Amino acid sequence: MRCKDVAQAIEQAGFPPLPDEARGHVEGCPACSSLIADFERILAVAKELPAEVEPPTRVWVALRSQLEAENIIREPATLVPVESSRWWQDYDKIIRGRMMATAGVAVLIVAAGYIQMTHKSARSPIPDEATVIPEPRVLAEPFGAAGTKLDQEEQSLGPLQAASMSGVSPVDNSLRENLATLNTFIKECRKRLQEDPNDQVARDYLSAAYQQKAEILAAMMERGRSVN
Amino acid sequence: MTVSPAVRKTFASVLFPVFGAGVLLMPLASLAAGQKVEKHFAVKGRPVVMIQNVANGRIEVKSWKNPEVVVSASQPSNKIGLDMEQAENRIDVTASVLDASAQESDLSENIQLTVPEETELQIKSQSGLIYVEQVLGDMTLESIAGDIHLKEVSGYIIVRTTGGTLVCTLCGGKLKFDSVSGSAQILQPSLTNVTLYTSFGNILFDGDFIRTGIYSMKSGRGLVEVRFAGTDSFDLNAQTTSGTVDNRAEAFLKPDSHGIRRSAAKYAKGFFGTVGNGLAKVELSSFSGTIRILKRD
Repeated sequence: MRCKDVAQAIEQAGFPPLPDEARGHVEGCPACSSLIADFERILAVAKELPAEVEPPTRVWVALRSQLEAENIIREPATLVPVESSRWWQDYDKIIRGRMMATAGVAVLIVAAGYIQMTHKSARSPIPDEATVIPEPRVLAEPFGAAGTKLDQEEQSLGPLQAASMSGVSPVDNSLRENLATLNTFIKECRKRLQEDPNDQVARDYLSAAYQQKAEILAAMMERGRSVN
Repeated sequence: MTVSPAVRKTFASVLFPVFGAGVLLMPLASLAAGQKVEKHFAVKGRPVVMIQNVANGRIEVKSWKNPEVVVSASQPSNKIGLDMEQAENRIDVTASVLDASAQESDLSENIQLTVPEETELQIKSQSGLIYVEQVLGDMTLESIAGDIHLKEVSGYIIVRTTGGTLVCTLCGGKLKFDSVSGSAQILQPSLTNVTLYTSFGNILFDGDFIRTGIYSMKSGRGLVEVRFAGTDSFDLNAQTTSGTVDNRAEAFLKPDSHGIRRSAAKYAKGFFGTVGNGLAKVELSSFSGTIRILKRD
């Protein structure tokens, strides 16, 4: 066996373990043994890398808001069968692992691209009942699930906010004031959409407001962590 | 010995980042607080400078011709820790709070940077002004409560604030601004792509629209004001849900010149028009604020 055969064996069979023939060659070949040693070091370092971190909730909220804003996915309506809404309720559980999350996002992006390319002007039903409600339907409140989730996060921040209030910080004040104003603005947009559910301008502003709210909550949490 | 391309690729993509980073990430300084410090970092080509200022304070970035990055910092107390490190062309500067119980007045860190003209920047701050002048390169600038002033900068510029205001004078390239209550003033720009969004702040665009440029300016409750030149050429789409459109340039706005039939969204007020040949695209929007269009004198 020659050096290139060793490389081919690693390429095809993986590493380790090394096939017997290749091992025999490596023992007598300084270049190959050096390469193998390097690979072993890489594997050792790779095992020490920290575990993958689950993306924060705000990422999912922002993603969902954006997809809803672009009419790529829709909020389950009140007439929707129980199975459909349960899918979204279980969404968090489904996307626990990073690989599952990545795959989920990839599927959403591919679906979004396909839908936009093939259904640009006409709003025809999309074949995934889990994510899209067939027409005719009763429109539910836009971004309702995202809004509820953000409200829950805001409530959970209560003690954290209080803890960081020991010194009056202009930054914390700015975050709190902007959050309060955003909440008022969100109410205005929601009111408008209750009057005119098809007002796309209001829908866009509501989507943006939810995204900004998610970012403010993330900043508040980050500040809470950095000073506590 | 010959090694197959796949092995070499694996080697290059895994070994170099892991061990290269280990060798190159040598912490150059962990500076004692309560003093003025200055560090020099020799660089080649276009460096990337990252500043993370968890404390408050002003960050100022200016350029020079030398292939060197100079970081100067001053802090009034020892409650702030400042770390600087260099990994080839990347320079990281991090200011962090050492004592969470410290008074707010002690938690400040002013940082001055002098960088080569072509430098990429990533700056994240809490409050205090971020000022960048004469830097060419992509930059991401984030602040919660601080204002951001840019002068003669060019590149792909991303600015995010919660309450801070952006003033961009003589800027070029692409600009993306997102803020909750901060305002944006874009003065004498040469920007080809502009996306400005603020929920409650005002937007002022005073300058030329570059042909083939795309400009989107949106404010939830604030004023969106555009001052254009008579020689400009752009299509305009202005829409508001419950605000007002103050069109002071009716004499210059013609019906769409491209023959495309357009209509405003059913539930929005607004209008379409064309100035010149309609080469650039301008979209203005406000939920409940005012959109004002006027020609510069």
